[in-house]
Formats: sequence, structure tokens, C-alpha cells
Amino acid sequence: MPTVAKVWIEEDCITCDACEDILPEVFEVSDDTSKIKAEVREDGAFDRNIGFSSIKSEFRIEYSELIEEAADACPVEIIKFEFEGGAAEVETVAEAPAAEIAAAPVATVSDVGEDAGVLAGVLSGDRSLAIFFGSQTGNAAGLAEKTAKLAAAYGLEPTVIDMDGYDQSKFSTHKRILIITSTWGEGEMPDNAEDLWNATCSSSPSLAGVHYSVCAIGDTSYDEYCKAGIDWDDKFKALGATQILEIKLCDVDFDEPWSQWVSEVLPRIACVDANGVFQEDMVEAMIAYGSGDEDDGASDGDFTPANIVESTISLTMRIFRYNPTLAQSGYDTIAVALPGHATIEDALLAVKREVDGSLTFRSGGIAGHNPLTGVKANGRILPADTTRICDLVGEGDTMTIEPLPGYEVVKDLMVSYDRYDYDRANSKPWLVADPRQGEKLASGAPIGVMTSAEATSLHTLADVGSLQLVNAMSDTYDVDDKYSGPGLALQRWVRSQDPRSGEKHVKQMFELMQKKGGVWDEADISSIQRHGIDGSQAADSLYDARARLLAEYKFTGKSGRLVKNYSRSVKMSGNVNETTLYRSVLGPLGLGSNILNGVSLRMMLGFTRNGGPIMRGFQGMLVPPAGIGKIPNMFNSKVVNHHEVVAIFNELDGRF
Amino acid sequence: MVKYSYYPGNVARQSSMEVEDTIQPLCRTLGIELIEMVGYNGDGGNIIRQGNKDLQLALNARNLAIAEKNGHDIITPCASAQGILHESLKTFQDDPIALARANRVLEMTTGLTLNAEISTNHLLHVLVDEIGLDKVEAAVINPLDLDIACYYGPHMQQKGACGNDDAWNPDYMERLITALGGNAVDFKSKTSSVGNPSILSLGDSVMKMTARVLNDAKKAGARVLVSACTQAHSNLDSYQGKAGRVANKDTNIPVVNLTEIVAFALGHFPDRFAQLRTRAMIIGS
Repeated sequence: MPTVAKVWIEEDCITCDACEDILPEVFEVSDDTSKIKAEVREDGAFDRNIGFSSIKSEFRIEYSELIEEAADACPVEIIKFEFEGGAAEVETVAEAPAAEIAAAPVATVSDVGEDAGVLAGVLSGDRSLAIFFGSQTGNAAGLAEKTAKLAAAYGLEPTVIDMDGYDQSKFSTHKRILIITSTWGEGEMPDNAEDLWNATCSSSPSLAGVHYSVCAIGDTSYDEYCKAGIDWDDKFKALGATQILEIKLCDVDFDEPWSQWVSEVLPRIACVDANGVFQEDMVEAMIAYGSGDEDDGASDGDFTPANIVESTISLTMRIFRYNPTLAQSGYDTIAVALPGHATIEDALLAVKREVDGSLTFRSGGIAGHNPLTGVKANGRILPADTTRICDLVGEGDTMTIEPLPGYEVVKDLMVSYDRYDYDRANSKPWLVADPRQGEKLASGAPIGVMTSAEATSLHTLADVGSLQLVNAMSDTYDVDDKYSGPGLALQRWVRSQDPRSGEKHVKQMFELMQKKGGVWDEADISSIQRHGIDGSQAADSLYDARARLLAEYKFTGKSGRLVKNYSRSVKMSGNVNETTLYRSVLGPLGLGSNILNGVSLRMMLGFTRNGGPIMRGFQGMLVPPAGIGKIPNMFNSKVVNHHEVVAIFNELDGRF
Repeated sequence: MVKYSYYPGNVARQSSMEVEDTIQPLCRTLGIELIEMVGYNGDGGNIIRQGNKDLQLALNARNLAIAEKNGHDIITPCASAQGILHESLKTFQDDPIALARANRVLEMTTGLTLNAEISTNHLLHVLVDEIGLDKVEAAVINPLDLDIACYYGPHMQQKGACGNDDAWNPDYMERLITALGGNAVDFKSKTSSVGNPSILSLGDSVMKMTARVLNDAKKAGARVLVSACTQAHSNLDSYQGKAGRVANKDTNIPVVNLTEIVAFALGHFPDRFAQLRTRAMIIGS
């Protein structure tokens, strides 16, 4: 990715602070204009940088993306920049009247491959699309740029054209035209469109071969709502052009209607073939093609890029808030409309910027995928910086965002990972090899060497994005502060399986996993398993770790006895026999405890029975101590073909 | 009549006979024929898996093969059983080596062969997706008329295991309760674990997890809690007093299995329903 080498501020800054909010390290807004900070400039000056001093090289990679973001966010489009190597700045709309700005294609016709199926006819030949904008404040220009980016997905080759200075006689050279224009004052054309409008009206060029559609931006509080767009629509019709989709009128909140218009118009205008004929029966296939669902688009083995641009979603955000000073907590509810491809972090940043600057949460870096940005979103444990909103909610849904469970909340969504760090420091899950003796370890193994198969296996064991998040996936971690969590258990398990680990260190890992705080403190691995790929991978490794520990420690401890006796119970009858299980796992003391604390009484006296025959409950007391518990069937009868179950056990595990 | 191979799970015919009592008549009322899976065995409860994954898989392969031989998809009243059966089936469907290994054992020990071409379903999803809530509503004789919280647990709340319901924010049971004339009460920990697999091996943490679910349901205004998991029911009901004491939370609320509440609404066991209503009136607040 090219990095930004120079950034400067043009005139007419409205001092809205947007740039400083996004990147305070580079932009500082004074009373009359935004300025580029001295610290990041080669010349060390502090002004708008109209002398085009370069950004210091050490800051370029770190700040490039945010400079572009700040330029995009600037409502008056006066932040300009230049890439390394002298490439022209992206935002040249204002400087280059009539310049044709080619948008970077997301996907091109060549991506389709030879097997273009039913769309082959329309996707071949001239695929140009002219997108004209008439813009007074930059909104229409911005929409034209966005439209161009989306158009590429439909195999179009878009060009964004400023109406200012355009020669009206060239209209007829285009087969496909989209017009996006605002209305100025009392129904007037924007300044950059005035001359072209007048010239078109006076010369009346024939537009017989042109397919077009208009997106008009206006304000319903004015009498002449969207008049400029309506005028262009009427004029094109009068000049013989074919309307591919009805004009779209957009109020001041234009994002949503524009989004609707663009999602309808692009597949339609993309079905205008190289001969200028609209292939209406291809529209459905084109919609699928543009959305990435179309099978014909790529032959076997081709890589088809995912559709990264998603339409806007209107949703309600419920955000957990915690004020540590007042020890008060609650939820803020905010209605928002955001692009579906925005991340949770983007949504939180938008709320922080637009609604409440005090909202506190952990933010990722430019590259994304920070393991510490986790939140609980609609019950799921997810990294906020890489999780897209459209993968969580749909139109009209509610997205509840809460801090990660199991960790102390510092403020709002910000949690402290001290618990994790403390447990990790105590568990020493890092590599400790045997002492070195000459060129080999004491064990005789070569130093630091693994086969690729071993390395792959080891990586697979702990192939999760964030161990801190894996901890939060456990429903037990939240209630047991002595439990070091499945994330750390996973780390210990991996280290114990590392062929480079010394024998003593492996033994230490086993001991830590076996004792209090280790893998047996997880009450229900399925609560982790359901958390997607990471949860499933962590659960598999935890099960493997437990199996290894059972073998190592010969089914000792309550958990070991549970697994052994549960398995034997199933082998003996085909089904689990809770009578023998309670007795063998809890032992006399446990059974006595159940009597004293009321569990047994509750089992007998009916809450579970809801009026069922009370003798069922009492049966359990007839032959003490075997019958303590919710156990009407004292001894399981064997299942039909019980010998088959026994044979399966004997075939796979002789320990039971 | 819709036919399903009936897998009762680990407790419906053992310690929780009320499940067996109620699933049979409710299915008859709604036109579901339960075909016996002759010789079915325990699913391992994800406890056998801790000692030997292949062993639990083989035990479930036998159950799945019995159902396949019946020629009908599986229905079960237990969320935990549904989760385990679904996971085993998916393993066999996604991993031909695992399927071949299980079949080798099955053929040696039972003579059965598994093709992994059936589906497993919880009763809840059959009622909503297959039977239809309109038909259920039409069959109601005794409307529930209670504030009821619905507990799903985590085991079947996984993509593909819970019908067309949302794995993370399910509402099938709430919609069912509404169709049965009850007032469904939403609460935040309805898919949280109560630690049932560790009820005998872990103490306080399982009690705290159990108390969290019960207390959340009570705080949300429920007077009755319905469990889709017959195993978790044991924690929620029998251990609720102990859980409340350990966690220092109010946990006192009647807890019934899903099969019971549906059967009651459809007119079965009116005496048991009357007792439940009395309990709800006295303690479920």
C-alpha cells in the first residue's frame, strides 16, 4: 500500500475538528483553520503546509491510513495529500475541473475468467460508465466516488466526471451515464454544473444512444426540492436518452436513499451491452454477480474476492456504560445507520465522535486484529476491530455491546487484563528446553528443531486469535476467580506438547493443568465450543488435554473418578446409572452433604415431579446409600443388544 | 402423522420420568409418532469424551445407525443430547476418515453401518419448524397464563443444531410459550451454562452458574422457568436451594421441563399443572 508523503490544508477550513478527532498527532485545529503539526513535518513548521513539506519518514506508515480517513471525513474537502513517489493526491476533485478521475476497480471484467456464463455477452467489449457530479459542498462528489467504487463490482469501468468545464457535445459518446447532483439555493444548479446545464439547454445534443439515471440530493424544507436533479432527468429524457431507473430524490440524510438507488441502478446499467442495448433479462444474474454470489463468475481454482462493501444498516446500539467514580452502570441506547462492512470498533468510534466523547473502549491499531479489543456483542465474544456489523445484525436489529465477562471493568467497555497477565506469569507457559550439552539438549534432541509436521500440529492446537478472548468465552471463568481460564490452559497444553520443551517443564505444565485453577475447573466446555472457530479449536484442545491428564494421573481426583465411573456405568448397562455414579463420585461424605443441604430432600419431595407418583422419589431412599438422589430407577436394566455396547468399549478402550 | 426416531437422552427414562410421561401424549396430540430406537445407548454426556473421544463418537455412531435403520430422523427432548448427537453427526459428515473409523468399529461390534444421512432435532425445533405454532396453538386446552422464562443452555445453541432459530439470541421457546397461552419473559442468561457436566465434580462454580440463571430469570419477572435441557433441569431444580445459598442469590422458582409445560397446555396431566400453578403462585415471585 502506498504511504502518504505530504499532507496540506487548503483554504476555507470550517474548523469542524473532524481531522483532529481522527488524527490529533498530525492535525491541530486552531481558531481559523486546521494545521499540520510541526512534529511530523520535515520543515518543523506549524501551519497549513502550503509549502508542501514532507511528512517525516518514521510517521508515514503509521499515519497514512488515518490521513486518508481524515481527508475523506473532511466535509469541505480541503485536506489534500500526496503519496510517496509523487503520485497525484486522490482528492483532486476541486483542483481539476473536468478532469476524469478513474476509480480503482474492485473487480474487473478480467476477474470473470473465460467461463462468464450467461453474462458473457454483456460483460465483454466497452464497459465504460460515466458518473457526472454537480456538487456545491462536496456531498455529490463524494457519492460519485463511492458509486464508482461499487460499479467496478459489476464489471463496469467507471469514470467520475466533474460537470465543471465538461463539453456537452460529448454526452452522446457515452452509452452509460449516471448523474449525481445537489440543488443549490432556490432550485438552482450547483456552481460547477451551471455552465454545462446552460450549454446543454442551448445546444440540445441528441442523446439517443445513452442510458442514464439521476440521483438528486436536496432538502425537503425548500420549495424546489431536488430541482437540479429533476431538471437533468427531464432534459435527458427530452434529448432522447433512455432512463434505466427512475430518478431518486434524496433528502438531507442522503446515504440511505443513495444506497438504495445505487444498489438498483448499477446492476441495471451494467446490463447495457457494448452495443448500447439494455439486456433486461440479465439483471437478476447481474445482481448475483455483483454481490459475489454468482457461480459463473469464476472458473474452478480462480480466486474470487469477497464483496467487501455492504449496504447501510439501521440499527439500535445498546452500549454498556460504567462510571468508576460514581460506581454506576447502565446502558446507552443510540439509533445509528452504518455501512454493514463497518466494524464494531468503527461503530463505537462513530458514537464517541458524534454522540459522547467520554465513551471508553479499547481500540485496535491500523492493521487491525488486536487481541485486546474484545467485547461481548449480542452474547458473542468477538474482537471489536475486525468484526463486521453485518455479520452480527440485520436491518432494524439491536446490537448490545458489553465488556468482556471475567475481567474487571475499568470504565465502560474497557476491561483490565491484569487477571490474565498475573495468571500467565505464574503459569510460565513459555518455552523451557532441557539444558544444553554441546550441540544437543540433555534429552539428545537437536536444539530448537521441529519437523514441519510437528510445527503444524503445534500451531493447530492453539490456532486462536486471542487467548484473552478464549478465557472470556467460558461461562465458568466469570464465576470462579481461582480459575486461570481456558486460554491459559490452552497455552500450557501447547507447551506440554512442544517437542522442544524440557522434560521437567512438561511435567510442570501437566501439574499446573491438573491442579486447582487448571483444566478441570472448566465446568462446561460446550460453553466455549459454540464460540465459532476459535471456541471450537480451544474446546478440542481442552478435551485432548483432559484425556492426556487422565492417562497421566490415572483417573485420580473427583473429575477423574467422574469420567471413569460414568464410562463404566454406560458400559455396564448401556445407559448412565446415576445411582452408582452419585455414590462412586461423591462418596459417603458427598452424599451426606446432599442430605444436609437439602438437595436430596428437594429431589424427593416433588419439585422435579410436578405431581408425579411420589413413590418414585422415595424409591431412592429405600436402599441407602445407593439411592440418594433423583434416581427412581435403582438399577438400570440393560439396553437391548447390550453386548454391542460392551464390544464397542472393549474395542476402543480397555480401561473401562 | 410425522414420524421420528425417538432418542430419550440420558435421563428421560431414568431419573426424570416426568419427561417420558409427558412427551408421549403431547406428541400424540400434535401428530408426531415416536418410533422407538431399539437398544439405544447413552450418548456419553461429553464426559466419556474427556477420556476417549473416539469412544464417545462410536457410541453415538451406534445411535445414529439405529435411527438410520429405522428410516427416520431423530427427535430428542434434551438440549444436551441434541448438541452431542449433532456434533457427532457433523463430525461424520465432514470427516470421511472419522466415519470410516466408526463404521469399522460398528461393523465389528454391531453389524450396523452408518451413512450419516439423517438429521437430529430437538423437540422444540420440530414443534416450531415442522409442526407449526398455529397447529400447536389450535391444540391448546389449558392456556398457560403464567410468566415463564425459557432456558436453552449452550449445548444445542450452535449453528446447525438449533433448527432455524438464532443460536445466540433464540426465541423459539418464547414463541412456543406464547402460542401455548403463556407470557414469555426474556432474560439475559438463557443460553448460559449451568455446568451440568461437572455437577458431581465441581462445587461452588457450578452452583454459582446455576444461581446466575435462576436469579436472572427471577429478576426478569418470571414465576416459572422452563428448561429445554433435561440434564440441566437437575441443576436448576434439585440444586437450586444450595445454589442460592452458595451464590447468596434469590433462586427460588419452580422449574419444569419443556415437555411438561407443553403437555400441560395441551390438556394432559391437569392435576400436575394445577400443582405447578399453585407453586408458581406461592414461590415463583
